[in-house]
Amino acid sequence: MTLVLLFVVLFVLLIAGAPVAVALGVSSLVFIMLDGLPSVVVLHNMVNGINSFPLIAVPFFIMAGHLMNTAGITTKIFAFARSAVGWMYGGLGHVNVGASVIFAGMSGAAVADAGGLGNIEIKAMREAGYDTDFSVGITAASSTIGPIIPPSLPLVVYGVIADTSIGQLFAAGLIPGLIMAFALMIMVAFYSKLRNYPRDEKFIFSKFLTSFGHAILPLFTPIIIVGGILTGIFTPTEAAIAAVAYAMLLGLVVYRTLTWRGIIRVSMDTVETTASIMMIVAASAIFAWILTANQVAEMFATELLSFTDNKTAILLIMMLIVLIVGCFMETIAAITILTPVLLPIAMTVGVDPVHFGIILILNLMIGLLTPPVGMVLYVLSKVSDVPFEKCVTATAPFLVPLIAVLLLLTFIPEISMWLPTALYR
Amino acid sequence: MSKLNGQQEGAQDALPEINFENTQIDISDFNLWDVPGLVALWALSGIVFLQFFTRYVLNDSLAWTEEIARYVLIIVAYFGAVSVTRKGTHIFLEFFYRYLSPQFGKYLTITMEAISMLFYGYLGYQAILLALKTRTKMASAEIPKSLLYWCVAASLIIMAGFSVYWLARKIRQSPRDILREMEEHALHEIPELGGKK
Repeated sequence: MTLVLLFVVLFVLLIAGAPVAVALGVSSLVFIMLDGLPSVVVLHNMVNGINSFPLIAVPFFIMAGHLMNTAGITTKIFAFARSAVGWMYGGLGHVNVGASVIFAGMSGAAVADAGGLGNIEIKAMREAGYDTDFSVGITAASSTIGPIIPPSLPLVVYGVIADTSIGQLFAAGLIPGLIMAFALMIMVAFYSKLRNYPRDEKFIFSKFLTSFGHAILPLFTPIIIVGGILTGIFTPTEAAIAAVAYAMLLGLVVYRTLTWRGIIRVSMDTVETTASIMMIVAASAIFAWILTANQVAEMFATELLSFTDNKTAILLIMMLIVLIVGCFMETIAAITILTPVLLPIAMTVGVDPVHFGIILILNLMIGLLTPPVGMVLYVLSKVSDVPFEKCVTATAPFLVPLIAVLLLLTFIPEISMWLPTALYR
Repeated sequence: MSKLNGQQEGAQDALPEINFENTQIDISDFNLWDVPGLVALWALSGIVFLQFFTRYVLNDSLAWTEEIARYVLIIVAYFGAVSVTRKGTHIFLEFFYRYLSPQFGKYLTITMEAISMLFYGYLGYQAILLALKTRTKMASAEIPKSLLYWCVAASLIIMAGFSVYWLARKIRQSPRDILREMEEHALHEIPELGGKK
């Protein structure tokens, strides 16, 4: 009965607009007090829940992304992607996807992609005469590639909560991320044919070389991070600090675009984003502890399994739950609440925790593109001055390829599991 | 917002030249209360980089760095949470407010602020008790572990203080102003938008 109260208090507080960390903390505190446990458990868990070495990667992946945007490195990547794939029909659409893939290898968050790269992309597409709905839709959809291709903040948080190797999760995300890019490029090709979009500019080898030359140093970043982690040279935390050091080197010494003012700005934003995420992770530690101690996942599993024991049906039900939650909740909060409930069920029907992590995150990314709480849509609506409602309808068609990829990944685990199995197992 | 306006100024030729050097970066929201969080972040960067450097370059990683780094991360989180509370930019769901009358929205957000304030204050009190009880030292260094809990306690109490400030402000504000501010705060994650005004 008190368990029901735990969830009721949590959801009432969440919907009423309490900070997510407070909602998790207060509902847990109420449960602990009613259960007669010492209430110091709450604080103890809220401190020790973030006492974790892998979590140290969080501030540095955030910082690396901000540094890239502030130092103007994002612009160089966009110019390179433009010279590389801009010659195709619907060129800037492909550029958009390509630049997101490269940026995904440097930054860990979809919102950083939408706020930095999205700004440049929409501007360029507008000037080239693309329809606004197409520009906004493809920019929104391509920004979700970021957290699937390593490095990825959501995967770090999932890895810590699910107690799963972050290196394996990163390896598992690489191929699905590329498939997402491919699916979106098919969509771009389809639109271009339908609407007769122009090529951006002819492929000029000298121009390609010049932009490659300008972008070569930033292009090393994904190679250092992704390569370093996948070959096991770096732990994710080390890769994160290496990325920060490298971005600082580029911004301060090579391009000299990074001012002290810029560093303070980046540091302030990093502290703020890190703290907001860590407070949720901290508060979810106590929440997860209660769920585990009371075997909530087992109870839920028994209910679900008595209904059906078909693996396909269970996976579909779980994905539907995630999709619905993802429409209403911010990604990190959703991961911290859903993982302790759903992962044990997934594991009883034989889903690998690494595989589950990838489909969970991709599913939540789709939630970033849907109302009412579509963070990426809000960002793009601000960046492009397109009303929120119009962003919603503009992005809707692009959900089709993303959901197709999600189903593909859900039912063919090998796509995600092949690389981590080959590298680590 | 300067960037948004700049964006609409006439079309340029094929390649958009976005000059980041000329954009004056706005740090007007900086406040003394942000200093502890910034110092903690830079300390964490230094420690993790030191560990990285000693492991790869000197081939001999410093043993104490990992434990200290974990504690400093906790301190970054809590000191940073002070800045987050000061600006009122904790992650929260604001969609429900779009379906409420502004007046009811005002009462609801005031209630939530009061709950947050009590929660921070109560946790701060618990943290002081825990700090007083903790006698152990860190495994790798001669630093009492209670220092960590004191930092947490201080952060939580300052957070409760800022919560009181928000509470007072929201009570005085018109419902319309509250809703406008909430929308800005919900977008705080995107520094590129200058969402901090």
